[in-house]
Amino acid sequence: MPPYEVDGSEARSRRGLVLSSAWVLASILLMVLPVPVQQGISAALRGTLLAPFLWTQESLSRTRIRAVEIEELQARFDSTVALLATQSTLGAENAHLRALLELRERSGPAFVSASAIRPGTRGSESMFLLDVGSEDGVSVNDPVVAAEGLVGLIREVGPRNSLALDWTHPDFAVSTMTLDAETFGIVEARGGTFREEDRLILSGIPFYTTLEPGEVLVTSGQGAVYPRGIRVGTIFSLAETEAGWRRGYWVTPAVRVGSVTHVLVITGEEGRPVSELTHLWAEPEPELEPEVEPGIEPDPESGPESGLESGLESGLVAGLDAGAGGTP
Amino acid sequence: MRGGPLFWLVVILLPGIHFLLRVGFGAGPLAPDFLTLALLLAARELSTTRAAGVGFGLGLLEDAFSILAFGANAFTLTVLAVAGSRTKDLFVGESVSFFLGYLFIGSWLRYAIHWVVAGQEVRRGAGRVLLVEAPLGSLYVAVVGVLLLLATGAVVREAR
Repeated sequence: MPPYEVDGSEARSRRGLVLSSAWVLASILLMVLPVPVQQGISAALRGTLLAPFLWTQESLSRTRIRAVEIEELQARFDSTVALLATQSTLGAENAHLRALLELRERSGPAFVSASAIRPGTRGSESMFLLDVGSEDGVSVNDPVVAAEGLVGLIREVGPRNSLALDWTHPDFAVSTMTLDAETFGIVEARGGTFREEDRLILSGIPFYTTLEPGEVLVTSGQGAVYPRGIRVGTIFSLAETEAGWRRGYWVTPAVRVGSVTHVLVITGEEGRPVSELTHLWAEPEPELEPEVEPGIEPDPESGPESGLESGLESGLVAGLDAGAGGTP
Repeated sequence: MRGGPLFWLVVILLPGIHFLLRVGFGAGPLAPDFLTLALLLAARELSTTRAAGVGFGLGLLEDAFSILAFGANAFTLTVLAVAGSRTKDLFVGESVSFFLGYLFIGSWLRYAIHWVVAGQEVRRGAGRVLLVEAPLGSLYVAVVGVLLLLATGAVVREAR
């Protein structure tokens, strides 16, 4: 009787099964690798094979913004020029007073502007890529903000790009306070059934402290990650009460992360962490009504004019007069 | 399926198109999942080992954008590739209706496996993912896949 031999196709099939099992095991190994190794692999792939696709989105984003928002940018530029024109005298006065008091010149908070790119692939929800990295002064845990308020924070940093997570990420948590600094609590992400339903929840509020809808929450500065004063959101409604000793509130986020295309990364103040940014998101002070003496008619033309507009106008007029050789 | 040069050219280009549409143009779910489509088509033509290797590589690329569930896409696509390759031994379908079903089920499984392995932090509601997102996305992939197969001549429509 001839010896039993394994059929060639069966042996191949068995070998194929073993090798394919090895691939499956390798993929399982990927999931249990230490996070720094995973980050290294991700960064290497993003910097090589996937770089053209990221570059494409970055270029398209820039082109779109240049094409669509040019009018808005022009308006913002005009406003900035106007603001600078009105504040130039204050700046000079401040510098003079500091010199008199022998105070060191105070540097402002350091921001780096960046384009936010969303990968749009499975598993990449709640994160975005930025086109700035360690070469621009960005480091891990730097806060990311938009004009409306807090967006998230930097998670990984490469030389020229970085990876950030937004407030919808399950790891997101920030210590917040009300504007009057009376109430403190932790704001965390709470995922909805659909991504559009992602919300923030403020927890840890004492039971006998009531917050009104619309009340503004800003970062408290505790925890050394987020500077104090960045707008996080506004109270929406009561979410939960726990056994009569604690309350939680739904918070309407200040920033809708899906629509964010440009952000600022707060990189610190000459190497020091920024500690106070309340003034950047503070509500403008209500203007005082001018006191009108009885019997004097208020000038209707000068009444509704804002300080910014009048300052700009007077500055322009002064500039034109000086240019034309008129009286100073 | 007749995997001619045009078929392979399309299969090789599909992952590039996937990343171009989803990452480059920011289309997100508006673009069909060409990565899964390429894998499912290639798996029918490749040996199990090679298919698994391709699945691992494509999944790893997708994982490059994932923080919390790194490796979940690699695992999902590797398992899917092995399963897709094994279907050759079970089904020898060459018809449009077969590929419509094959791509639909394969794509739905991709959603399901990823949902299971992605972890609690990334996972959304099962009903929403498996009964709403997955069927719609899978139908999209199946229809686009069959149209591509017809266009490349890999599958010929049956005469009535």
